[in-house]
Amino acid sequence: MVPAELLKIAELIVFPGFLFLIVYALFLEWVDRKFFARLQNRYGPQHTGWKGILQPWADLIKLLAKEDITPAAADKTIFTLVPIFYLAIPLTVMFLVPILGANAYLSFQGDLIVVIFLFTLLIQLVFFGGWSSVNTFGIVGGMRAALQMLSYEIPMALAAIGPAILAKSLSISDIAQWPSRLIGLLSNSSMPLSIAVGASAIFVMAVGFGIFTLCMLAELEKVPFDIPEAETEIVGGWQVEYSGKKLALLRLGGDIELVAASALMTALFLGGPLGPWPIPPAVWFIVKTTICVLIISNVRALFPRFRIDQMTYWMWKNIVPIAVLYIVAVEMLAAVI
Amino acid sequence: MGKTEEFIIPVGPQHPALKEPENFTIKVDGEYVVDAKIRPGYNHRGIEKATESRTYIQILYLLERVCGICSICHMTNFCLAVEEAMNLEVPARANYIRTIMHEIERLHSHSLWLGVAAHEIGFDTLFYYIWRDREVIMDLTERISGNRVNKAIPTIGGVRRDIPPELIRDLRKGLDVFEERIKYYKSLILKENTVLNRAVGVGILTPHDAVALAAVGPTLRASGIKSDVRADDPYLVFDEIPFNVMTHDGCDVASRVIVRCDEMLESINVIRYCLDHLPDGPIRVKVPVIVRVPEAEVISLWEAPRGELIHYLKSTGGTMPYRYKIRSPTLGNLPAVQKMLIGNYIADVPIIIAAIDPCFSCTDRMTFVNVNTEKSWVWNNEQLRRYGNKWYQQNS
Amino acid sequence: MAIEPELLKHLTKKPATLLYPFEKRPTPEGLRGRHKWYADRCIGCGLCAQVCPAFAIELDGRGRDIKGWTVHLDRCIFCAQCAEVCPVDAIELTQEFELAGYDRAGITLKFTKEIPAQATPEKTTEKKE
Repeated sequence: MVPAELLKIAELIVFPGFLFLIVYALFLEWVDRKFFARLQNRYGPQHTGWKGILQPWADLIKLLAKEDITPAAADKTIFTLVPIFYLAIPLTVMFLVPILGANAYLSFQGDLIVVIFLFTLLIQLVFFGGWSSVNTFGIVGGMRAALQMLSYEIPMALAAIGPAILAKSLSISDIAQWPSRLIGLLSNSSMPLSIAVGASAIFVMAVGFGIFTLCMLAELEKVPFDIPEAETEIVGGWQVEYSGKKLALLRLGGDIELVAASALMTALFLGGPLGPWPIPPAVWFIVKTTICVLIISNVRALFPRFRIDQMTYWMWKNIVPIAVLYIVAVEMLAAVI
Repeated sequence: MGKTEEFIIPVGPQHPALKEPENFTIKVDGEYVVDAKIRPGYNHRGIEKATESRTYIQILYLLERVCGICSICHMTNFCLAVEEAMNLEVPARANYIRTIMHEIERLHSHSLWLGVAAHEIGFDTLFYYIWRDREVIMDLTERISGNRVNKAIPTIGGVRRDIPPELIRDLRKGLDVFEERIKYYKSLILKENTVLNRAVGVGILTPHDAVALAAVGPTLRASGIKSDVRADDPYLVFDEIPFNVMTHDGCDVASRVIVRCDEMLESINVIRYCLDHLPDGPIRVKVPVIVRVPEAEVISLWEAPRGELIHYLKSTGGTMPYRYKIRSPTLGNLPAVQKMLIGNYIADVPIIIAAIDPCFSCTDRMTFVNVNTEKSWVWNNEQLRRYGNKWYQQNS
Repeated sequence: MAIEPELLKHLTKKPATLLYPFEKRPTPEGLRGRHKWYADRCIGCGLCAQVCPAFAIELDGRGRDIKGWTVHLDRCIFCAQCAEVCPVDAIELTQEFELAGYDRAGITLKFTKEIPAQATPEKTTEKKE
């Protein structure tokens, strides 16, 4: 009989731990690039592996083999630590999100707050990365990242609190169960009431999902919010001085951030890995996060880049009031359920 | 509050926003552009000096390569200048074919620019779609002239190739498809709020400034001023065919986009009119292999896709010109760029520079004028390099 | 949001990319590609070399004892002026455009009178060790 601790350590390293997350992150990057390309009437990755599925692996291995240059004037400690933390933080977030079943690897009351805090920390790292590069473009990119963070953090937190109110708990593993509980409740009450409550719940939570997706796009620095890393304006922004192994860590961290963002979207709004039997929860997790990535890719192909002042103005003027109204609606819904 | 230090961002010579090297040194305060300094000269190749040691037929192909996008413009303008000096009468069919190629090149250039402008604001989807639709024009050009870019159709005395009837049929079909797509893109750009946010009110150039800073082409016409060489000083067949000058009153980047889309639709109408009224007859006049141009001084004006193009030819008899000078439209637009950059955000810098449709390959030819002795001379690349090395050796 | 219907329509269309070199498009007639020299027609007048803008043509011999004709593809600009000016139509530009080579010998076309008129010399395409 294998001792429980050994099983836990195996889970940490292999599944659903580091190995699974890295493989899954590179798979989702391929899905993202392929869907983005198909929307634009081109092929995307094509020749490495089956339909280019090994292309993210090829990019990662190539970067690991390249020369790693640190600028002479850069702050060496911070410059070196940023990619390492940029990879470590999304991995930490993933341990708090349910993958295999109803409960995450580690869950406790208040882990939603911890996740929101970790996302904020990630953007601070972007600022430090740009600032320590001592490169004009890097500094501008870092400052834009800080300004962007001030715009989207509030709506993101408000949108995330909505399901917490509905589930009456602050633990993501509990929140992931609100759709199944709602469906159970509605099937036990009268027809017109359940239709009314169900429809309004779907509408309100769809608004919350939309706001949360928008803020996750800003977090992941994807178009229309790739302002800190605008290629045609500031040549790569905060990542401009990173090369070789550090850039490989940054890119891997960005991919795992994509997994974390879509896993959070699934857990908070789409019911996590739970779904009708007989499909196991892990497969539901993969299906739902892939759908979230497809939505993100679609929005990426749809808009040009915002300007930083337009983004701040639009977020504070339009999205924050909608988020506040959304919280009010969720409160009313929670009182009924 | 202390004085904020000014921050200098170099845009160029190597920068993803620029398709050709140029240096814009931009002083910023936070995200606002406070001052801009423009330094051209990175693409100087010594073409004007090279024309002084080549025969006229060789110069024809040299000038084709001044710029890839405006190659027909430089070639045909040169042919017009030489034919004017030699008093040569070009057959009517040749002029109509030259006009057709000229307007096809305008279509190619403007659609390329539209894609690049979409890329500068981060709208890659539109960039890919427009360049895919531009392939219709590129394929037609390849079938008519034998090459996608350096078309080499005009020659001294006429054109080198004719357009056979089945090609005319395919040209009409291709133009119909292209016109549909351009109309769709124009309506899309006017409807999409996120694109308008990046383009409306950005890079303002008032009509007074546009005239004072000698802006040319769509940059000038987007400030409401009706000035077009094809209407003011007609060449080829533009005095025989109905033709409208497109302007817009917005004075910003969005109106430059609208002016170029309108010009594309107008070009399609011009090509259709020329195809309908294509006269029969020969396509070229016989000129000797080694062309001799009598003594003359000619200025030839042309409306390139970017604006007014001026060629100056001075010949003292003989097989090689005495002096050939080219003033390309982007050089005329550069002072206006400096005015437009100030007061905008860093994020607007790529789209403002791209809005004049810069072609730095056309722009960089350097003439040195010594104001004391009032002597002027032209150097080619090799002479410049040697002088520069010597100067640094002596002065450092 | 305005472009969304267009985006979704493209999911069902075949991509517009041509997977060169696995897929090739037929080249149009009149494409200015590799040169062909008809040795039996050439009279060795030298007009082609005189008129070439890139000074890419070399004649071996002159007049009736013309022995060979060389064009340097690394200089040639494919303007077809040589084909146009030849009084006996001895030069033709074919439709072949895949002309890259690994060394200068691979991109110099040397024609001689011994080789039959229609054939062209082979280029080296293997990398020299």
